[in-house]
Formats: sequence, structure tokens, C-alpha cells
Amino acid sequence: MKKTVIRGLFFLVLLVVSLSSFGIQRFPKPEFESGYVQPGTVIPAARTTILSILDVVVLLTACAVISWLIIRKRSRNWVFLISLCSLVYFGFYREGCVCSIGSVQNVALALFDGLYILPWTILAFFLIPLLFTLLFGRIFCAGVCPFGALQDLVAFYPQKLGSRWNAVLGLIPYFYLGLTILYAATGSDFIICRYDPFVGIFRFNASFGMFLFAGILLISGMFIARPYCRFLCPYGVLLNWISRFSWRHMTITPANCIQCRLCEDSCPYEAIDKPVIRKDPVPVRIRIRKLLLSGLLIPLFVLAGGWIGSQLYQGLADVNPTVKLVRLLNDPSASQQQPEPFEITAFRSSGKPVSQLCSEASVILKKFYTGGWILGGFIGLVFGFAVAGRMITRYHPDYIPHKSTCFSCARCIDYCPVKS
Amino acid sequence: MVQSRREFLNTLIRGGILAGLGLLGGGMIFRWVRKGSCGYGGACEKCPKAVECTLPEARNYQQTVWQLDPSKCIQCGRCATNCILTPSAVKCVHVFAMCGYCDLCGGYFKPGTKTLSTAAESQLCPTNALKRRFVEDPFFEYTIDEKLCIGCGKCVKGCSAFGNGSLQLQVRHDRCVNCNQCSIARNCPAGAYSRVPATRPSLLKGSGNEGSSGKKGGPTT
Amino acid sequence: MHKNEIMTKKIILFIAVGLLIVLVIYMTKDLFFSRIPSGINPYAYNLDSLMKKDSSRVAYREVKQIVPGVAEVSGISADMYGRIYISGKDGVEIFGEEGKLLKKFGINGTALCIHTDGSGKIYLGVQDHVEVWSQAGKLLEKWAAAGEGSIITCIGTSGDFVFVADAGEKIVFRYNRSGELSGRIGDKDPAQGIPGFIIPSPYFDLATGPDGTVWVVNPGRHSFEQFDPEGRMISTWGAASMAVEGFCGCCNPSHFAFLSDGSFVTSEKGIERVKVYSPEGRFRCLVATPDQFEEGTRGLDLAIGRDDRILVLDPVKKQIRIFIKNTIEQ
Repeated sequence: MKKTVIRGLFFLVLLVVSLSSFGIQRFPKPEFESGYVQPGTVIPAARTTILSILDVVVLLTACAVISWLIIRKRSRNWVFLISLCSLVYFGFYREGCVCSIGSVQNVALALFDGLYILPWTILAFFLIPLLFTLLFGRIFCAGVCPFGALQDLVAFYPQKLGSRWNAVLGLIPYFYLGLTILYAATGSDFIICRYDPFVGIFRFNASFGMFLFAGILLISGMFIARPYCRFLCPYGVLLNWISRFSWRHMTITPANCIQCRLCEDSCPYEAIDKPVIRKDPVPVRIRIRKLLLSGLLIPLFVLAGGWIGSQLYQGLADVNPTVKLVRLLNDPSASQQQPEPFEITAFRSSGKPVSQLCSEASVILKKFYTGGWILGGFIGLVFGFAVAGRMITRYHPDYIPHKSTCFSCARCIDYCPVKS
Repeated sequence: MVQSRREFLNTLIRGGILAGLGLLGGGMIFRWVRKGSCGYGGACEKCPKAVECTLPEARNYQQTVWQLDPSKCIQCGRCATNCILTPSAVKCVHVFAMCGYCDLCGGYFKPGTKTLSTAAESQLCPTNALKRRFVEDPFFEYTIDEKLCIGCGKCVKGCSAFGNGSLQLQVRHDRCVNCNQCSIARNCPAGAYSRVPATRPSLLKGSGNEGSSGKKGGPTT
Repeated sequence: MHKNEIMTKKIILFIAVGLLIVLVIYMTKDLFFSRIPSGINPYAYNLDSLMKKDSSRVAYREVKQIVPGVAEVSGISADMYGRIYISGKDGVEIFGEEGKLLKKFGINGTALCIHTDGSGKIYLGVQDHVEVWSQAGKLLEKWAAAGEGSIITCIGTSGDFVFVADAGEKIVFRYNRSGELSGRIGDKDPAQGIPGFIIPSPYFDLATGPDGTVWVVNPGRHSFEQFDPEGRMISTWGAASMAVEGFCGCCNPSHFAFLSDGSFVTSEKGIERVKVYSPEGRFRCLVATPDQFEEGTRGLDLAIGRDDRILVLDPVKKQIRIFIKNTIEQ
């Protein structure tokens, strides 16, 4: 009797279970006579969607508040306080992911890969700071970005680098941005995430290499204020460009500049432009010559850069896992290594034919060839504009923050004696 | 006057940037909202293409999380060493429906053990996370203590070699931080990691969840 | 400013910029000049020592392979004329001794096991029921499934009886030649000393001896049980261990067959090996070692051909591998 009941239950369970399966031949479990009930497999749920919407709302609020504090209230102390709050929320609570800097990668992937749907929260993280920058300058850097807040905390003895060093080191973010977009667009790697220095601090957990990276950056940050922001941040390139055309950028003086020179050494980022008085009007001939020179140089740089980039396409492509696997399979020293690299073991046991892998890799290599031209051309363009920029002098009688490199941190505001 | 010309140019470029950003945002949202044709005709839950689907109904399945596919896993041990969390967010999961409840469990015991008991020297698991409990003759129940498990995959290898493969590695989402780029995913030699819908975050073999084989969510999928 | 102060400031600046440049160089090196990935697993479960080839105990050598055309081969049988029968997904193929394809015909579904005897009929275990086919490829009979969850893994015949091993129902059914179910063998019966079959995975094999008894593998207990046609247990032997003399893992041996002198030829999964035991159950020698199979091979069905040659069905390599005994000179 007991056996029939149990057999009946087992049959019922099998029926129910087979209905919910995909027709997989799942082998019947043992018959338990002691009344043992087989536990189900627990699958914990992921973080709810509502919290990621909250993140966007906080971002929006923070940007709005900081804009008001910088443009209207003009208070350094308040800006510092908000930056600390952002550090706590976006840094330590959200552990720095997903951030606006990283959103560049997701947007690049979404633009070039038809199958990837960009979550709207990440799009918001990308667009909101850019829109606010278009309005008010780099307020995002001042009080919302946790990276900036962290570096601001350690900027104890900021030194002046001089315009030449600033210009040279300032080219690094363009390389970083170009490579980021290239690798994200081809679906190879997210290099901003890979070389994220501070996320280990936010998580209180990182490998030795990552801690060393963060440590070096922070030590360097004690003497060069905001090294990541000025010389590495790829999102900063976009903010840099957009801030140049911002509608209501922060000004040092609330009314007129009296050229008292008190703010000259107040900026740790060397972002204040000293007044440049026009002595004599520059002859038209020289102006035209400068224009022609720029007009020639820039396309030349673009072409040269593009050509160099295209020649380097194989080295660039090697970051892609498929291309790397093909190279590994053909590498004699890899096959000699004992024990054999797991990539090779896994590939062989997957049963995929090598020819299919190679055809996938060649498609990717073609993409990298085009990408190499574009990347190289982009770098050439940046070089060209940098050189051309040094030839052109802007005339202004007042002390003004350089719109592209000023982080709107409002330190200089405290130095200005003018009250509105 | 030079001032107003520059001002005009600035305004123009500002408008252009605004238009550009608007176009970018609009394009992304449009792609998200656009009605495509549904080739599946079934519940979105079971559709393998839910992650990349553009239909409004599939929107719930597009918040994605990382997951590994046990059928591709080669138990290389990198899940334990590459996760940015310590211990790893990848744990061994037991699909009881597939288990044989064997006395001589291939995933529990070291090969060549003299006694089939819970003695530490007989166990494969380096952290004593796999627990053995007598049910009835000759069946034993094996459960995993997730607080102790480090996701090394030793028991998984033993179970798949000598048993039914009911012990499988999976990313646990009460621990996983859902990084934009998963460190383990980048280093997985078998390419077993992919993004799956957050509403259906498991890819267990043999438990009926095979349909959700994930798709694009970033590189290294 | 004091000269020293300027000096200090310059040095500090130099170091700070230097550190930054070091960082950039490190990032470039890590991105573009990566090392060959490692194959070292700090948590490796190394099965190599178990898979080591112990050539001193190998007494057979592989002489030939036959490649069947059936998709997903699963069962092998041989008749007294040396013909080899292969079953798989949607088809059955019959080969001559030397590998010549004599006949092939299609069936509906996957036949996990195949059996043929002197009567000339071919018995197939197709998913949950038994089908009887003729040598010419005609379906003669289709027997009813014994249970809802039946998975037929082996068939054996002796006299008027057909013994069917059902891994789903975890029992051996005894049928008459007409297809009528006439009994069950192996039900758990403590009074009779029958422990009951423990079947953790769908590998459940049996074979009939020349004395009319049926030998059945009890995979969960790593043992062989001998029954008479009425279901009374006559004898049992077995050994559970990873060592070469025993059966490893949770459920082994997966398949077996009888040599002409009553010796057992067994095949296992997990540690893939084929061994020979004496009729009393003592380990004799190895036929094939794990290094001769792909890792993870399961379902090495066995059949005995002419002159006691051992036919091993390798479903991963999709071959019938023929082993003959090394003579004393070799």
C-alpha cells in the first residue's frame, strides 16, 4: 500500500516536473521511503529595478543642487560638502558602479552593436552630466563625481606643472577615450572598468595591483591635484569639449574683475587664465598665415595619424578575446607551456572547429582596421588642434577660468574680494 | 563686433551639441521602444532572446545580471580567484532534482578514501562547505553552506566526472555586485559567462532553466 | 622663495609626474603586452594519478576500428556469426566481422540498447518500450511500456524469457517471447536478502549466463547480482574503490558482457576503463585504460565477437573499437 502511494506520488511529481521542463530527459530521483522531501534549489533574486531609478533621481538632484551652489550661492564650503555626500552615495554606497565615466563604454557598445539594448538608467548617467555641463560647465566634476571628490580630499600640496607639461599630459585622456570607444564598440573589453583605480577603495576589497594603482594615484594626487581627472579621465574629454560652449559657466568674480590678482595662485589645477592685453592689433597677413598653417596641418595630422593607426591594427586587435585565442592557438610557446593554458583546453573541449574561429577573428580584424584608421585620425585631429591652439591667442582683460579645464570647484571664489 | 560673432558661434555650437545629445538619447530610447516582430509567440519568460528583444513586453527582462553556463564550465578555478569580492560571488549550487544521493559521492569524497564518513581528511572541499547528511539507506543528502563556499569548482568537477553533474557553479545575486564588466567573465577560458535577465537569473543544467541562455550585455559575453 | 624650497618642490613634482607616467606605462603594458594565460588551477582536482596507464596489467590491444554511420550511437550487440549490430538515434546498422556494412534501417526514436540472439530477431530498447525487428529491417512487434517513467537500458534473452533492464522503474522485467510481461526481478526483499537496485544514473546493464540465470549490475552498490528466472537471488559479488580492482564513482560498472569462459568484461565511466574479471569476481586484467578515451566518455557498451574479441562502442569518438588478447609472445 505504502509502495503504491509512493510510486503514485513519484509518478505525479515526474509528470509535473516533466511538464515544466524543456523535454530534457531528466533521470528520475530515488524513491524515498522515510518521507524525505527533496528541497528545491534556491535562486536568490537580483537588485530591484526601483533602486536603479533612485540612483538616477539622486544624480539629477545632485547636479541641480551643485549647479545652484556654484552659480548662485557661490560657496566653496557647500560645494565641498556636496562632493562628500556624492562620495558617500555614489562611491561607498553604490560602490562606484555604474558610473558616468563607465557609461561611455555602454553607449559606444550600443551604437555599434545592434543586439545590445542600452538600459535607460545608464543612458541617463551618460546624458545628465553632459546636459548640465552644457548649461553650467563642469559642475559634475566639482561635486557629483566620486572620483573627483576622493582626489580633492588628498590634494594637500598642489604644485604648478606649467603649461607645457599640462598640454603634453593632457593628451593622455584622448588616447584613453579613443581606445575605450574602439574596444567597447567592437565588444572586446571595457577598459575604463578594467583600469578603474578607485573602485577597490569603494568596495573595501581589491587585488594588490589595484590597491597599488589607487595608492600611486593618490600619492601623486597629493602634489598634483586631481591627476585622474586632468590626465586620465576619458569622460573628461567630453566634458572638456562641451564645457567650452557652456551657457552660464562659473565666474571668479560675481560682477566686474578689478584685476587685483588675488586669485592668480588660487587654482590648484592651473585653470585660471591671466588677462592677456592686446598690445597692437595683429596684422591680417599673420592671421591668415596662421589660419592657412592650421588648415594644412590639421588634415595632415589626421591622415598621418589614421595611417599609423591602421598599421597598428593587429596589435590593437589583440585585446579582443577571439583574436587573442587564435594567436594563442598558433603560438608555439603557448602550446609548450605546462600545464596547458585553460583557454586552449576549453577551446578543444568545446568542439568548435578552428576554421570557424578563424573566420570570426578575420571579421573582427577587419573592424579593427577601420577602427585603427578612425582612432589614428582622431588622435591626429587632437594633435592638430592642440598645435593650432597654441598658435592662437585669445585676448581678455579679466581673470577668467579656462572653460574647458576648470572643474568649477569654487575655490577661487573665496579669493575674490568683489561682492556683487 | 568680434564679441557678438563669437557669442553667435558659441550659441550655434551649443545648439548643435544639444541637438546631438538629444539625437543620441532619442535614438537609444527609440530603439528600446520600437515594436519589432515577435518570432517566438510564447511567454517572454521562456524566450531565449528576451535580453535583446525590442518589444515592450520584454522590457522586464532587460535589466540584466551576470551568470555562467555550467554546460560550458571547465572548472578551472578562476571563478574563485577573479571575482572582485572575497569570497567570490560564484558558489556551488546543488540541483537536487539531478542528484543520485549516492553513498560514495563523486563530488564529496577524495578519491581513494578509506571511510565514507564526514571526516575532514576524506573531503574534497577545501573549506568544508559541502555537508553530508544521512537520509535513509543508502541515500545521503548533500547541501552547500554558502557562507563557506569559495566557488573553486572541485566538487563540481568530481560530480560531473563520477556522478550526475548535479553540483554546478553559479553566480549568486544576493552577493554579486553586477559590475559593468565582470572580471571573471573577462578571464573565463570557456566563455561561459553572459548576461541574463534579472528576473530569471539562473542557468542551471537540468532544472528547467536552460531557456534563458543569455546574450549581449557587453564584451566578453 | 628659498633655493632649497624650490629644489624640493621640483623633486616632488618630478616624482609625482614620474609616478603618473609609470601608471600609464603599466596600463599600456597590461593592455597590449599580456602574458600567455596560465593553466594552473590552485584548486585543481587532479585525476591524473588515477588516469595513469598501468601497462603491466593491460592484456589486450586495439586492433581495428569500425566507424558506424548512425547518429549518436548508444548500443552494441554481436551474434554467433560475428555480425555486429549498432543502435543509435533513429537507426540500426549491421556490420560484418571485418567492418563491411551489411544492412541499415531506420527506426523511430533513439534505441539505447540492442540485443540479438540465435533466434535472428533484433530486440531494441526504444526509450520506454521494447521493439522487436527482423534482420531485414521490418518492425515485427512493439511491446507496451511497462511503466510511465521507463527507460530501457538493456535487454537479454535466455530460452523463452526476455529480460529487460528498466533504469527508470529501477527493476528488471521478465517477458515471454510473445511480449507478455510475466514477472519482476530484483524487487527489494530483505527477507530474501535482495537489497534492491540503486540506479543514480541511466546506466543499468544485464546479461544472461549459459545456465539460464541472469546477472544484473547494481550500479549504486557497485556489485553484480545473479538471479534465477523466478527472481531468487543466487549470488553476488562486487567491489567499490577507485583502485583498478574496484568500481569507482557513484554508479559503476555502466556495462558488461560475458566471455566464453564466463569471465566478466566490464566498462566504467568517470575513470574510463574496460576490465576483465574472473567468473568468481576476481580482477584479472585491463583491456583499455583512461588515456585511450576522451575525458568524460560515458556509455561504453560492450559486446563479444568471434574468438572472444572484445567490441567496445565509443560514443564520443563514434567508433566500434575491437580489442584482442595479447598472446604470451607479445
